[in-house]
Amino acid sequence: MTKKFSIFLTVLFCAFIGGVCVISLLLPDKDFSPLENRYLQKPPKLSLETLGSGKFMEDAEDYVSDHIAGRDFWVAAKAWSERLSGKKENNGVYFGAQDTLINRVDTPAWEDTPAQQGVPAKQGLSTRLGYLDTLVGNMSVPVYFGLIPSAAEIWRDRLPAGAPTADEKAIIDQLYFSTGASTIDLYGALAPHSGEDIYYRTDHHWTSLGAYYGANAVLEALGLEPLDLNSYQKTTVTDQFNGTLFSTSGVRWLPPDTIDAYVPNEGIKVTSWFKGSPEEGSLYVDSYLDVKDKYSYFLGGNQALCVIETERADAPKVLVVRDSYSDSLAPFLTERFSEIHLFDLRYNLSSIKGYVENNSIDLVIVLYSFANFTTDTNLFLLGR
Amino acid sequence: MVFSTPIFMFYFLVLTLFLYYIVPRRGRNVVLLVSSLFFYWWGERAYVSIMFLSTAIDYTHGLLVERCKARGNDKGAKMAVASSIVFNLALLCFFKYWDFIAGSLQSVGLTFMPVLGVHLPIGISFYTFQTMSYTIDVYRGDARAQRNILNFGTFVTLFPQLIAGPIIKYKDLGDQINERTCSTERFASGVQILMVGLAKKLLIANNVGMLWDSYKAMAPAELTVAGAWLGVLAFTFQIYFDFSGYSDMAVGLGRMLGFEFLPNFNYPYISKSITEFWRRWHISLSTWFREYLYIPLGGNRCAKPRWMFNLLVVWAATGIWHGASWNFLCWGLYFFALLMVEKFFLLKPLEKAPALVGHVYTMFFVMVSWAIFAIEDFSHLEAYLKVMFGLGGVPLANASFGYCLVSYLPILCLAALASTPLGASVYRRLGTRGQQAVCTVLIAGGLIACTAYLVDGTYNPFLYSNF
Repeated sequence: MTKKFSIFLTVLFCAFIGGVCVISLLLPDKDFSPLENRYLQKPPKLSLETLGSGKFMEDAEDYVSDHIAGRDFWVAAKAWSERLSGKKENNGVYFGAQDTLINRVDTPAWEDTPAQQGVPAKQGLSTRLGYLDTLVGNMSVPVYFGLIPSAAEIWRDRLPAGAPTADEKAIIDQLYFSTGASTIDLYGALAPHSGEDIYYRTDHHWTSLGAYYGANAVLEALGLEPLDLNSYQKTTVTDQFNGTLFSTSGVRWLPPDTIDAYVPNEGIKVTSWFKGSPEEGSLYVDSYLDVKDKYSYFLGGNQALCVIETERADAPKVLVVRDSYSDSLAPFLTERFSEIHLFDLRYNLSSIKGYVENNSIDLVIVLYSFANFTTDTNLFLLGR
Repeated sequence: MVFSTPIFMFYFLVLTLFLYYIVPRRGRNVVLLVSSLFFYWWGERAYVSIMFLSTAIDYTHGLLVERCKARGNDKGAKMAVASSIVFNLALLCFFKYWDFIAGSLQSVGLTFMPVLGVHLPIGISFYTFQTMSYTIDVYRGDARAQRNILNFGTFVTLFPQLIAGPIIKYKDLGDQINERTCSTERFASGVQILMVGLAKKLLIANNVGMLWDSYKAMAPAELTVAGAWLGVLAFTFQIYFDFSGYSDMAVGLGRMLGFEFLPNFNYPYISKSITEFWRRWHISLSTWFREYLYIPLGGNRCAKPRWMFNLLVVWAATGIWHGASWNFLCWGLYFFALLMVEKFFLLKPLEKAPALVGHVYTMFFVMVSWAIFAIEDFSHLEAYLKVMFGLGGVPLANASFGYCLVSYLPILCLAALASTPLGASVYRRLGTRGQQAVCTVLIAGGLIACTAYLVDGTYNPFLYSNF
């Protein structure tokens, strides 16, 4: 190696690692990464306790990694590199056909798995179903159970050839067979429409169209009159939606999604409990269309409790044990119910039984996406 | 701390290099000692005291050995060497093997040793071997005792090779600890080797490691014959690129600090026999065992049964060195058996046979050995091996095998190519101009690609926590 070239290499290397170091230190701290849709690691707390337990070191390593100069670039570069090396997935998201990103869904176990070697214990499906059946036993009103299959199941044909994914249909059938609750055939409602845009391409949720088919499955199970899509005017509220799968996959080469709304926001009163106290909400929150997290346009995103009151005073009152799929479903439900109570177990620890009695609810729907039902750690609250 | 993390690359290394080159020459060992202790403390906290203890005890023993020898007291010198070996082995045995022995005894009903749940200090197998070599080298007259305790501490704790080797013998490093030259040429060649190591670890090993992990996690009934082989092939590449990647990083970092470490791997997967494989694989460990165990036992200058016994001891030790578990012992003995077969009759025919036969034969047995190495649980291992050899009653292949093969084929081909000296020989044939162009592109591209994988590294295991 010539002297000149070795000086060049030395400078190149030192400028790179030194540059990244200095720029990272100078950059202002961010709390939240909109592109990745997650909170970043806060600066590590220095104390004897955190030093002794090693928490300081762990947090510091995450902090450095989360606040490195050009982080968004590095995340995208890695996704690109995976794609170029022939991979069909990155960070658990498949690169599907037709510009579609699809979350990988692992096959859940029926039995509980105990904690081992730093991996926390996992509840099996039997335990989860047990919580649901406790709820059914506790209730004096009918309880309906609906599992929304993920895009990985309905859009199987868009997955890379042979990509492993759970057989959700078979698992849902078996859960439905075993439970004491009445069931809602969401798979049957969605599968015939797999050629339509019923899920977002860059987000794990169903679209408003998917939610419409879901709503009719709910109404059919309840014996209520179905809705007619032709009676609605479709409005596209944004065509710049980059969803959660865009965030986790690092994939930056796909066109954004559009978000549509069907049901007009008329004569509807929404009360939201975002932070423990009631405030006036709305079926659609336009301000979210200007930020990254555009799916929160529906009802304003996750909340402990949301009460939607309509003008149909003689219609039944329903309580939905929800995850975020229910947010885009709720507008359709306003057509057939007088009150819709969306109850989120992740943020609301109060008793469902007490709530149903106090608010003279007529029926309860436990409605989960397949992925949330098989992984959520708060299902035990159903039994309270 | 491990090398393949953003905090090491962009903070620790930047700060260490800055301090190292800004202080006067006399102070550099102190900078190295302090930064190495910090490096170890970051991951192991209280166990950093082992570093102090090891330094103090071996330093004293080295001086003692030398003083006894100067006075012609060979018995005393031998006693001092023995005492140092006992101390180092006691340290290693307690932290690494106590729970294994206690657990094994309990499973046959003997309960006099309680299982303590000792956490294994990272790198203990590497640095106890290095400090053991020190007193022995001093006794043999291969090295002079180190008088400066700071310099000796630097030898014991030197961060580039502290936690994953290579195992450096004191006689190879002692002079460099006292006096070494730092030049831009050496630094730049260090950058090249560090880059190679990072790329091996982050771009290849972690990548194929995910493939192996998915196969290792499968229940035997979910496996397929082709899948089981694909999984083992993935681990074959993972362990080589991870381990040799760490060694390259150590050599590269060493050069950036003015040190010259001996190479640890020499394209092991191009070997034509198992004998050759072990001359190319983890060279620093095999030479350590040869010099400090095999030859003292009598080597091959003795009767045949005794010689076989010596080899048996060496291979049992090599096996169990890799981890306190029965499968590692089996792994060592598996190689003992293969080497015996080769020494007695296979080596000659292999030499005469076409090269391809030797390659296929070697890789077949090496891959099987990695299955034994990678799966600690015997019932799982048995089921996995059965599937590999078509006795598992599972299909030959399925759709998910096809998916894995298609996804990983380019990276597996790249790994196969990178296991041979082909790239290096092409590079050597380029002119100076060509070399500089290729080198610039590879270093710049490597820095960007490796940083991307460092930052978004969802999978970045440290494989030597067993060692």
